[in-house]
Amino acid sequence: MKYAKAIYASLIVFFLIAPLLVILPLAFTSSAFLTYPIPSFSTRWFEELVVNSVWSRAILNSLIIATATTALATVLGTLAALGLRSQDLGMKSQIRTMFLLPMVVPAVVLGVGMQSLFVRLGINSSYWSVIIAHTVVAMPFVVISVSGALTGIDRRVERAALSLGAPPWKVFSLVTLPLAMPGVLSGAALAFATSLDEVVLTLFVAGPNQRTLARQMFSTLRENISPAIAAAAFIIIVGTVLIALALMLARRRRG
Amino acid sequence: MSENFIRFQKVTKDYGTVRVVEDLDLDIARGEFVSLLGPSGSGKTTLLMMLAGFESVSGGAIVLDGQKINDLPTHKRDMGVVFQNYALFPHMTVAKNVAFPLEMRGTAKAEVASRVQKALDMVQLGHLSDRLPGQLSGGQQQRVALARALVFEPRVVLMDEPLGALDKQLREQMQLDIRDLHHRLGLTIIFVTHDQDEALTMSDRIAVFNHGQIQQCASPREVYDHPSNRFVAEFIGETNLLEGTVSAVSGETLSLTLPGGTVFQSHGLAGFRPGDKGLLSLRPERIDIYATAPEGVNCLTGEVTDTVYQGDHLRIVIETAAGRIIARINRKAAEWANGAKVTLGFRAQDGWVIAP
Amino acid sequence: MTASSRFRSPGVRALILIAPLLVFLGLFFVWPLVTVISQAVSDPAVSRVLPQTAAAIDDWDGEGVPAPEIQAAFRADIVANTDEQAMGDVTRRLNSSKSGFRSLMGKTVSAVRETPDIDLAEVDKRWADPVFWKAIQDNASPYTDAFLLASLDMERDSSGSVAAMKEGTSANFTILMRTLWTSALVTLCCLVIGLPYAMIAASVSGWKRAVLLGAVLLPLWTSLLVRTAAWMIILQDNGIINQSLMGIGVISEPLVLIYNRFGVVLAMTHVLLPFMVLPIYSVLITVPGNLMSAAASLGAHPVRAFLRVLLPLSLRGVISGALLVFMASIGYYITPALLGGAADQMISSVIADYSIKSANWSMAAAIGLILLVLTLALYAVYNRLSRDPVQAR
Repeated sequence: MKYAKAIYASLIVFFLIAPLLVILPLAFTSSAFLTYPIPSFSTRWFEELVVNSVWSRAILNSLIIATATTALATVLGTLAALGLRSQDLGMKSQIRTMFLLPMVVPAVVLGVGMQSLFVRLGINSSYWSVIIAHTVVAMPFVVISVSGALTGIDRRVERAALSLGAPPWKVFSLVTLPLAMPGVLSGAALAFATSLDEVVLTLFVAGPNQRTLARQMFSTLRENISPAIAAAAFIIIVGTVLIALALMLARRRRG
Repeated sequence: MSENFIRFQKVTKDYGTVRVVEDLDLDIARGEFVSLLGPSGSGKTTLLMMLAGFESVSGGAIVLDGQKINDLPTHKRDMGVVFQNYALFPHMTVAKNVAFPLEMRGTAKAEVASRVQKALDMVQLGHLSDRLPGQLSGGQQQRVALARALVFEPRVVLMDEPLGALDKQLREQMQLDIRDLHHRLGLTIIFVTHDQDEALTMSDRIAVFNHGQIQQCASPREVYDHPSNRFVAEFIGETNLLEGTVSAVSGETLSLTLPGGTVFQSHGLAGFRPGDKGLLSLRPERIDIYATAPEGVNCLTGEVTDTVYQGDHLRIVIETAAGRIIARINRKAAEWANGAKVTLGFRAQDGWVIAP
Repeated sequence: MTASSRFRSPGVRALILIAPLLVFLGLFFVWPLVTVISQAVSDPAVSRVLPQTAAAIDDWDGEGVPAPEIQAAFRADIVANTDEQAMGDVTRRLNSSKSGFRSLMGKTVSAVRETPDIDLAEVDKRWADPVFWKAIQDNASPYTDAFLLASLDMERDSSGSVAAMKEGTSANFTILMRTLWTSALVTLCCLVIGLPYAMIAASVSGWKRAVLLGAVLLPLWTSLLVRTAAWMIILQDNGIINQSLMGIGVISEPLVLIYNRFGVVLAMTHVLLPFMVLPIYSVLITVPGNLMSAAASLGAHPVRAFLRVLLPLSLRGVISGALLVFMASIGYYITPALLGGAADQMISSVIADYSIKSANWSMAAAIGLILLVLTLALYAVYNRLSRDPVQAR
């Protein structure tokens, strides 16, 4: 019974992790195909990402759009999470549900609606349309993450600051915000990652000039599977792990 | 010393349709240590929160030093608050925590440093100023909270069950420390607690709360010996309650006739008239047990049904004609076996008659 | 109460804080969805070009030839129209309701332009036939259920009642059923794999639990595209599985693992497994660890203890997880698009194709609306369950 459990758990762990491990070494293949065995070690596909303007442009676009999305989603989401904390707000649970709905609504449906609306507003196929679309789906992560951090703050700590003579805005900037910061940061990281990985909405609202890395990977996977995919995947995985580590360190520092 | 430094005038607090504090009057003098004592939900913490400005006042007025402060924002009230869970800023060092109120008041840097050091030395924590609160023990955290609440020399210090989270020994040590600071610095302290020993040990006066109203506000001795009603008598300390009818009043001594016909002489509240119902509150430690009845004391015979050894004293349960009575006897007294016939006795000044 | 103190009131301050996001979502989330809904049910082609006719013919009883005012409105609309292409759309639409309109409209338009007050019956005797006016009346409304019906492979026949489309004309309903079926299969796979896994994860502690949870969380944090790409690498004809199986001689020809239903279900199970494991796990860790021992001490056989104690307790997590996985599955686009063959496409692909490839907004919106309603209904159930802790049994 005990061995059966261990074997079963190991198999599922393998099933979950192996695909992620399979793709990493292929980033360094010298072959033109995404297959094993790897003939020899090479960085040609990383060079491809930099040299080939389609890829480098896509990476640049992704960075621009993800940065802007992160900024917008973090500001809007943090403010909203602070507002949701108030006990005096009516219809709180309805508003919270509304903030989480973009995670639920199928991206394709939202994409169809955004495309026709943005065309009508004359902003489709622009950086703005992509940033707005990404912010809509990235924002819930910020709201959830910051709300979580805020519920962890003891209100009596803020009351103590008030009683010690700090006016409300100083209580916010010296106590509430610093204490909520880990939540804000992880929300921002999640928003960045969401934008980086967004494909469906991008298909609908981006023009050829806003082709993102994810969008480029999607069409490459559809048309000609090249090891550049693995190189891009390598960058994304390493980037994700680095951000996660940085967050963990930041959190540990704060005790 | 100005009388009535803090005045609560007909203060009321409603949460929706629930009235948690009702028409409450209380005056507190400068330099006084007043405990607000009561069961949870009795309104004592709400009153403190209104005084600190964390809760709005639904009705009536709170006056501080002649100024009505109902609408004064918390940060302008100049009150040091110590919370039960310490409420230290977890992201600031001990020194930063204590410096906070001084920085909010724009105190010069050099002065901040010296006052912080002085405050920390006062609570014997000068050597831990660079630690974060999370690295301190509960007792140390509470001392930091105390230093932080005192360092800016507030007009009033409010304490909301500040010792509730500490273990018994530490709590008793802190009680003495706080009492000492109160005397040394001449602080005005309002102290919320549900622990009657704490209130009895520390306070100049105790305000006993129940159902949003003050049942009695007097010195510890007065509250314990001369409770104003049944709630106070039962809430503070342990007591035996015997119901009877007042048969005579002479000066401060009343005659109370019990249902069985026994008559006791006892002190009691003023205003009783013969024929009124009365309730005799008899503290267990004021009862003596004799083999034979002496002269000049109230006597009652009964049978010992249980004896509990409690270290420094014995608790003896005696069944009498007037009901079950509990007595506390010091260890030097003789011991009685279960079933022993004994006579209880108490002096008139050791009993207290209240309205039933 | 003064203005400044009202500003200071906590409720108003909270509203000011959430207002930016509310406005943002109103503009860029709610409005797009409203656009989808309105596109799915609106059909302005006829009413836009023939507004006066549409207004006048609305309460015509369908008996005999319409009153002269209606005919006059029709002529006035023809004279007023300047958009030939829009008129072409109207003709096409009317022709699909009643054949013969193509020639009739061409003739009528040029005749009316020449002589604005000409008697229509003189232009063509078909105008004396109420059937043609009926076609105009049917198409005059700016709203239609035609697209919604078409997305379920249905249409209105000439008598106006709902009927199934001819076999083979449209596959929307088939694909919708396929989507539900595939999603159910993925949900089942996730449940079968995830329930024991979550139970094991909840029963161990220390590093073991960290590894088991980490294995669930790591894929969740990794890009969806990366995970899909990884499955393509593994499953392709010369991918790892086929190479190793051929290497040890089990097979001589590569198995077809990709561009079929197997690949889609496998990869989607991998992608969505965390959504099944985590809700079950979070319910199970709230169960006291000694509950099973307690059951055993009361004389329950381990299997019985499991069936009577642990399984009922995890039921709430199972239902939440299943709803989450199913909800995510029916709207899935990327994985089926990349790993599925033509016969494995799900409803999202159909929507994307209508909108991106053929620019048929109305159909895209109509199918999208059906998917939206389905998803929101599931979410409402999920929300209900996750909010009501008494649902444990």
